[in-house]
Amino acid sequence: MVRAGLLGAPLAASPRFASPAAAASHAGLSPESLQAQNDTIREYCVTCHNDMMERGGLSLSGFDVAKATEKPELAEKMIRKLRTGMMPPRDARKPDQATRMNLVTALETTLDAAASAHPNPGRRSFQRLNRAEYASAIRAMFGLDIDVSNFLPPDTISANFDNIADVQMPSATVMQGYMRAASYVSRLAVGDPEADPSSTTYDVPRTESQKDHLEGAPFGTRGGTVVTHNFPADGKYTFKMLLHGEPTGALFGRTIGDIQMEVSIDGARVALVKVDRWISESDPDGLTVSTEPLDVRAGPHKVAATFLQEFEGVEPDLIRPIDHTLADTQIGVGYGVTTLPHLRNLAIVGPFETSGVSDNPTRRRIFSCRPTAPAEAEPCAKSIIGRLASEAYRRPLAAGDLEELMPFYAQGAKTGGFEGGIRTALQAMLASLHFLFRVEEAPAGLTGGQVYRIADVDLASRLSFFLWGSIPDDTLIGLAERGELSKPDVYEAQVRRMLADPKAWALSSRFAAQWLRLQDLHKIEPDALSFPYYDETLAEAMYRETELLFDHMVRADRPVTELLTADYTFVNERLARHYGIPGVSGPDFQMVKYPDDHRRGLLGQGSILTLTSHGNRTSPVMRGKWVMEVLLGSPPPPPPPNVPVLEQTGDSSDGRFLSVAEQMAKHRASPVCSSCHNVIDPIGLSLDNFDVTGAFRIKDRGVPVDSSGELYDGTKLNGIADLRQALMARSDVIITHFTEVMMAYALGRRVEYYDMPAIRQIVRDAAQHENRMSSIILGVVRSAAFQTARADVAMDGSKDAGRNR
Amino acid sequence: MYLTGKHMSRRTALRGLGATIALPLFDAMVPVRTVFAKGAARAGEKTRLVCIEQVHGAAGCSEVGLNLNLWNPARVGRDFDLSPTSLQPLDRFRDHLTIVSNTDTRMAEAFAPAEVGGDHFRSSAVMYTHCRPKLTEGSDVHVGTSMDQLYVQKFGQDTPIPSMQLSIEPVDQSGGCAYGYACVYTDTISWAAPTKPLPMVRDPRMVFEQLFGAGGTAEQRAQRRATDRSILDMMLEQMTSLRRELGASDRQRLDQYADNIREIEQRIAKVEARNTSGEDRELPGAPAGVPDSYDEHVKLMFDLQVLAFTSDTTRVFSFKMGRDGSGRVYPGSGIDAGFHNASHHGATEAKIREFAEINKYHVSLLPYFLEKLQQTTEGDANLLEKTVVVYGSPMANGNNHNHRGCPLILLGHGNGILEGGVHLHAEDGTPMANVRRRSLMQAPG
Repeated sequence: MVRAGLLGAPLAASPRFASPAAAASHAGLSPESLQAQNDTIREYCVTCHNDMMERGGLSLSGFDVAKATEKPELAEKMIRKLRTGMMPPRDARKPDQATRMNLVTALETTLDAAASAHPNPGRRSFQRLNRAEYASAIRAMFGLDIDVSNFLPPDTISANFDNIADVQMPSATVMQGYMRAASYVSRLAVGDPEADPSSTTYDVPRTESQKDHLEGAPFGTRGGTVVTHNFPADGKYTFKMLLHGEPTGALFGRTIGDIQMEVSIDGARVALVKVDRWISESDPDGLTVSTEPLDVRAGPHKVAATFLQEFEGVEPDLIRPIDHTLADTQIGVGYGVTTLPHLRNLAIVGPFETSGVSDNPTRRRIFSCRPTAPAEAEPCAKSIIGRLASEAYRRPLAAGDLEELMPFYAQGAKTGGFEGGIRTALQAMLASLHFLFRVEEAPAGLTGGQVYRIADVDLASRLSFFLWGSIPDDTLIGLAERGELSKPDVYEAQVRRMLADPKAWALSSRFAAQWLRLQDLHKIEPDALSFPYYDETLAEAMYRETELLFDHMVRADRPVTELLTADYTFVNERLARHYGIPGVSGPDFQMVKYPDDHRRGLLGQGSILTLTSHGNRTSPVMRGKWVMEVLLGSPPPPPPPNVPVLEQTGDSSDGRFLSVAEQMAKHRASPVCSSCHNVIDPIGLSLDNFDVTGAFRIKDRGVPVDSSGELYDGTKLNGIADLRQALMARSDVIITHFTEVMMAYALGRRVEYYDMPAIRQIVRDAAQHENRMSSIILGVVRSAAFQTARADVAMDGSKDAGRNR
Repeated sequence: MYLTGKHMSRRTALRGLGATIALPLFDAMVPVRTVFAKGAARAGEKTRLVCIEQVHGAAGCSEVGLNLNLWNPARVGRDFDLSPTSLQPLDRFRDHLTIVSNTDTRMAEAFAPAEVGGDHFRSSAVMYTHCRPKLTEGSDVHVGTSMDQLYVQKFGQDTPIPSMQLSIEPVDQSGGCAYGYACVYTDTISWAAPTKPLPMVRDPRMVFEQLFGAGGTAEQRAQRRATDRSILDMMLEQMTSLRRELGASDRQRLDQYADNIREIEQRIAKVEARNTSGEDRELPGAPAGVPDSYDEHVKLMFDLQVLAFTSDTTRVFSFKMGRDGSGRVYPGSGIDAGFHNASHHGATEAKIREFAEINKYHVSLLPYFLEKLQQTTEGDANLLEKTVVVYGSPMANGNNHNHRGCPLILLGHGNGILEGGVHLHAEDGTPMANVRRRSLMQAPG
């Protein structure tokens, strides 16, 4: 078989990518067996899915398993419904388990055998760096953290993820954004002795608790904010703190008396500012307090603007403020209630009186040489620019690269000397399409639709954007350059090295977070009166908990299903208190075993339970839908218009509140709703022992919680443990769907029906390794879809067969 | 944290840091003229256009709401009473208000079984295009050219930036969008061509920098533009060589990027052309970012639009004030139900009235904008006389997702295009697009 570190050699159906042995053993289904499967379909499916009724817009009349390959998309749908046990529905006549699974196996075997003979790796358009990838590339190259949202428009999401190539629409806005970012980053990295004073503002979320010490802030302080700010030059900077006000314009928290704020840089106090309790929005400076202009050196520094901790312990108030002190700025207006001033944002303004740019880590990274004589300038520039360009372009330097960039050096050097030249070349490099676009090189002489192995340097990029969410490092590029990366043993060793690297955190923060929809957590605002303790700080801890669990799965190489069953989790003091876990103190997260069996895995995590709630009540529908979509990969059909909301069904009857379960039951009485909600609701209801914020409860507004119900296939459910068990009984479905979403993220395209045979192969192989994380990740990166590409409509103009075959 | 008003105090602290930009000498250039209340506008009068979309329809466009006059006033003609309606906050601008009731956005309806129920995921695409969005999740999206862009293509070519697209809500719908529609149909209301959606910018700071650029002095900005021009040249050359390596469908995409690059080149050229004939004026400092609250955010976006109009950097905005399916709670409305939930009011009067309060709250943010336009004089008239603001929703009754009899109002006099102070009732079946086309597209910019 063709193996190449060289530029992708054309590749026929390679035995490496399918599993011919496995496929062959299933493939030869006997005519009797096929007939039996067709009989099953006729007996159980066609009763509804026939030409007359077309239930669900589908007819299976005349469907022949032997010819499933003629309708692969339909056949994949059948497999999905049958495997999850959603079809036939609960009230219909059903075949026994064995019969159902025989049909599934027959369909899968047929499709897999065909795919093994003609693998289709699919194709996608080229990707461009999205916000997250851009930021991490800049971090990797310069050690700078920048806020990309100042430059690039938000990424379009498709199939869960923000890196799907074909929905990345071209626009002048995005191109101009890249250009503005290039200009900004190059000035920041090199330092800009001519930097104009500008103002950067860091907002603090309103409901973030500012009562306690903040991680990373000096001890003896509370609240405020800690940021890493990039100072463009040595000079004077002013720090302006805007505080929260009451609706009247007075300072919020003034009942505590006069206070002091501290500004520190890299842990050392640089200013102490008195806050006059009587300041008001109507003052010339409003509720802003400022430092004098302070000397700061160029480069990234950790800046903390915090309040001095005036006292510890509990105030003996009759009414005490809750953690969520800014749920409403009216509270604590009167005396007798102790509230504390809160920072609303920190603005860093400067530089004034610029005095140059002194050395810092970013500049040391850039200036690997210094010209000591004019003649040395150009060779030194070439070496700096060449090295950085190779990193930015993620490949060995090509002949034209320097030719393209050196004129920018010359242009910049004219007015800005050596450093100005380097800076300008850097700006051009960061606006170069070689940096921004991920175009993969195709070998010459391809015909349309032809499958070929991608070049090793492109493979290095695919790997690193998948596992690290960032550009490849020297090791990967070096191996690719020597054509060694695609050697199976080297390849596996590299994947394992990458998974052990801290950068693999991106699998949690980018892949898992988007798959699990953690970004929705910030859109939920639990009702401040019912859940006064809930604030941004707790939400942040919940988010982190989920990331840490996933990260642990990757690092400890645990079975994927442990995401559901883990009897341990990661909490800090705040979150432990929320869950009722004793013995955890401090802001650092630690691994703890759950003291009881109320919680296990993702379904017991505050993040998931909160993001699937409404602000004022739990939502069995949203929880059920989340499980169906995110874990099972079988989204419920969309609701018809004109549906009443839950509130309209009334939340009380005979003078008592109805439990959520009773309300849902009333809701389901409507026949339009019941067909789907009978499936969705019981899943969510089994989690109803967790309130809007994921706290455990046995009563809701005084009424006992009823978390009993029946899963769509008739399994009895009562509480989270039963749901977990029912889901684990379908672990094959969950693992398959997990592989599917990981594939989409890794490939930057939506997974299509023709990918399913390869995905099933990965799942089968992973089963040999206890479904360990690494076995699935390795399966994905070894798949044909990951390692090969299909030629676009060829240069010769023949029709593209990639997507719609 | 707006650019003027009592909050100016915070901002003036930044005085002297703000960028400056060349503004043409309007007052000297525009000849004295009388403002006609009727008749077509004259050439060269720079009619500004703002296309606003709010989602989820209006309470007053449901059956019950119609009878209660919660959106449209009862009387047609001039003598209408806004007090029961969600438009009530506009009463003091009634001379600048044109209400057009009973128009449809039928292209947002379902035309095939697979499209049934997907209204939330295609309505926004229909709002200003009045075309039927193609059902797809991929890059082969197709709808129509939106009105703001038709206007730009016809009249709006001589400002540095042809048009800008703003939005308030984040577009990162987790999991992607549903019903088989690409998210871009929900995310934007501006389409430069049926296949070219324009991204909407949510961060006010990004809007500011797009409008006015970065860099302190005029000289520094000129130098930056020179570098930018060389970079654009480099990008175009790279496109040419990349093009040779790509297949046809990727080439098409690359060509679109090349068009974008050329557009940026033109922007730079126009800024430079204008700078030779203008003078430097001070701009307020750039806004910090996305503010906490909805109304602060909306008002800041209005500030930026006024600023752009004043400096004649662009004359066309589209502004998406909501996102379909958004459950955002608006504390300023006094209603604690989320936006989407409230729109599914189940045709009960109490819930409809609640929803009407949310509609009213949204409308109540407009006078801020109108006032600022009115306070800005250009030549012989204020900007409100020269601007047309379209505000409406591509849904009528959010409860059942219908698209007939949608909320639609126009504000400003648009250099005499609009008379104002009138409530027009369209014949049944009139597409919303007809109204806008008749009133705007025939007028010279």
